[in-house]
Amino acid sequence: MTTQGLQEQKKLPESVKKASLLLISTGIVLMMISFIVDSHRAFYNYILMYSFIVSIGVGSLGLVALEYMVDAAWSTPFRRISEFLAFLIPFLLILVIPIIFGIHDLYHWSHKEAVETDPVLQGKAPYLNTAFFTIRVFACILIWMLFYFLITKNSEKQDITKEYGLLTKNIKLSIGFAPILIITLTITAIDLIMSLEPHWYSTMFGVYYFSGTAVAGLAATTLLAVILKEKGYLHPQLQDRLYHSMGTLLFGLNVFWAYIAFSQFLLIWYADIPEETFWMMHRMHGSWGVVSLALLFIHFIIPFIILLPGRAKTNFRTLKIMAVWLLFAHMLDLYWLIMPNFNKESAFFSWNEIGFILFIVGFVLFVFKIKSDKTNFTPVGDPKLETGLEVKLYPDLSID
Amino acid sequence: MSTYREIPLVTERTTFPELDDVVFKPTETKPTKKWFLGITLSSTALLVGIICLVYSIYYGIGMWGNNNPVGWGFDIINFVFWIGIGHAGTLISAILYLFRQKWRTGIARFAEAMTIFAVMTAGIFPLIHVGRPWLAGYLFPYPNQHNVWVNFNSPLLWDVFAVSTYFVVSFFFWGLGLIPDIANMRSRTKSGIKKFFYSLLSFGWRNSNRHWQHYEKAYLLLAGLSTPLVLSVHTIVSFDFAVSVLPGWHTTIFPPYFVAGAIFSGFGMVATVLIVVRKVFDMEHIITMNHLDKMAKILLATGTMVGYAYAMEFFMAWYSGYIFEQFVFLNRAFGPYAWSYWVMIACNVGFPQLFWLKKVRQNIPLMLVIVILVNVGMWFERFVIIVTSLHRDFLPASWGMYAPTIYDIGIFIGSFGLFFTLMLLFVKVMPAISLTELKGVMKGSQPEHH
Repeated sequence: MTTQGLQEQKKLPESVKKASLLLISTGIVLMMISFIVDSHRAFYNYILMYSFIVSIGVGSLGLVALEYMVDAAWSTPFRRISEFLAFLIPFLLILVIPIIFGIHDLYHWSHKEAVETDPVLQGKAPYLNTAFFTIRVFACILIWMLFYFLITKNSEKQDITKEYGLLTKNIKLSIGFAPILIITLTITAIDLIMSLEPHWYSTMFGVYYFSGTAVAGLAATTLLAVILKEKGYLHPQLQDRLYHSMGTLLFGLNVFWAYIAFSQFLLIWYADIPEETFWMMHRMHGSWGVVSLALLFIHFIIPFIILLPGRAKTNFRTLKIMAVWLLFAHMLDLYWLIMPNFNKESAFFSWNEIGFILFIVGFVLFVFKIKSDKTNFTPVGDPKLETGLEVKLYPDLSID
Repeated sequence: MSTYREIPLVTERTTFPELDDVVFKPTETKPTKKWFLGITLSSTALLVGIICLVYSIYYGIGMWGNNNPVGWGFDIINFVFWIGIGHAGTLISAILYLFRQKWRTGIARFAEAMTIFAVMTAGIFPLIHVGRPWLAGYLFPYPNQHNVWVNFNSPLLWDVFAVSTYFVVSFFFWGLGLIPDIANMRSRTKSGIKKFFYSLLSFGWRNSNRHWQHYEKAYLLLAGLSTPLVLSVHTIVSFDFAVSVLPGWHTTIFPPYFVAGAIFSGFGMVATVLIVVRKVFDMEHIITMNHLDKMAKILLATGTMVGYAYAMEFFMAWYSGYIFEQFVFLNRAFGPYAWSYWVMIACNVGFPQLFWLKKVRQNIPLMLVIVILVNVGMWFERFVIIVTSLHRDFLPASWGMYAPTIYDIGIFIGSFGLFFTLMLLFVKVMPAISLTELKGVMKGSQPEHH
């Protein structure tokens, strides 16, 4: 049996919890100071932080659902990592509260006097108003929570009961979740990020954000999958070749992001309609132009070149570096989307921003630690596990 | 622990020689009456098309319904329609190959052939759309004495590159996959002339280890090259519309929306034809219910993606606060061409939702009806995009209506004639199923250690 030796599973060391709590508390202190010094700027940082946590949490849940939906077996030995990361979702219910208080600071459309003098905003008022915005934000979180609890409950129950029917149940749940996930992420993207600049619109925006969350979710999963494998937490029969599939998917999703980003930019640039171009113009001038170029290289060109060779996808060091790299790239992407709305003149970074980043790292670690203490790192009852561990590369993608 | 169940890809106990006999039968026996009936119909349709084409070229494209303001009519609608159909083949053979979807083996060859023929059919339309097809050579940028260069800024030129690249790579991919099977046919045939041609086309294939190694590598590389091409072709086609400033055409979601639509329409056509073919050639154990079920699921997924794009366009038109944008969409849904809009919505988003039900996915007659409706819906999608966006210009003084002439319809019928004539000839002379790949996924073909 492949499940031997997994009954008494190693737990992550307590030092992880200590480190995460230290990061969280330092982060919170810095965030508080940031709010006191410049609350306007701090709110923009806060929404960046919140969006990033949504990306990791909801992106990971999306990967879990994707596995069930397309009946993939190679990712089953890793699935718990994504499930643990998706445990961020219930916390969103608390994390979102400051945004509700910050609506007035963040969103121009929430100012009554601004709407009164602006016919375009008046037209959008049935959608962009404080009450409806709040309802949508909470509705999205509650929907994600519902599917998170339903899917992971079945998955965890299967560790004990080994019941085949739970797999079928989760497949059905995931298929139902897929369209809902796309719609809720689109709403989130439009509400939280696009409406920061309420005059601007792009039909692609939902897909753009969604493609970024997929990259971020998988990058986080890859990073942890490599570290946990190295430290011996994952299934002992887990072979390196499965990482090849993971690296390939990461590469593919990142190229998809680039495709969406390029298409959105090209169409707006080429048509040159002032209603749309002003948003891109803010990001092409001064130091924002440097950020835009950096985004092109950091999010696409460099990862593309590094992850393209077959060898890179089974090299643990490369995978780790690229996973961290892509997480940073996603953060840069969110920075590029959100921050020019705060300061159109020039890009900025200083101590005000650091607390939020520390909080993200600490918080993700903390949530991962407390969830993994209670649950197996390997879904030992999943009937796909054995198939997954034995997956052969067909086609053998490693041309050397 | 219950073990994970996998559905066999070839049902019924069958041996390799028996499979050979089934797949090679159409190429080795005299065509059946059904085949003659089919080719009679399709070549008649082709003839109708040729007559209308000759008229159009002789008298000029004033024979068509295109007018001012609707300058793009059936020609571009049909171009986009056929290019879309040409997307399933390479998706099945390249992308599903990289995704390790073994079920693709039963249908890949057929779908690839459809891709080739659909792209060839599509190619006719931009050619005649230019009005003077004998000058189309100028679309290719080459150094010349007149110093006449193409406009590199034009997406129509990008189309020339995208489509021709796609065609070339798909053709090589298809041809490469055919080599081992043609070698097999070469060994089986008794006729001297067939032996000569099959020998020529199999490039001296001897099934040696070294041949297979090279073949596998080349196949993988071509799969990797084709994958971005599947996305790029329809992306470029969408640019034809989306780089303009026209409400209804200029919207950023067009590239992925067109690609999803192309895969949707391509699978619609593949499913339509395969449902007929598996019956006619007794291949129900090779192209199984499992295959049809999976195709139905892909149709459901891509149809829903297209639905997302329709919803997004409509919502953003309202959200933009841009009155022209809002007008175009209201005009689409409630204007004089509202019927075409609702045909599109019903066929592309509505009916495919029935595929949520397993009963529908297992019911072949019903499935055939739905996939035919998908073809209809996707044709109307292009009609809606082109005609409804153009027919009411910014100034009401330049509003108009569009109606195709008999020549438009004739060429449209002719395009189906060309496509199906080529398909029927293909199943007569080439193996419609990739036997070497199919044998590789059968039970007992791979070493097992249980």
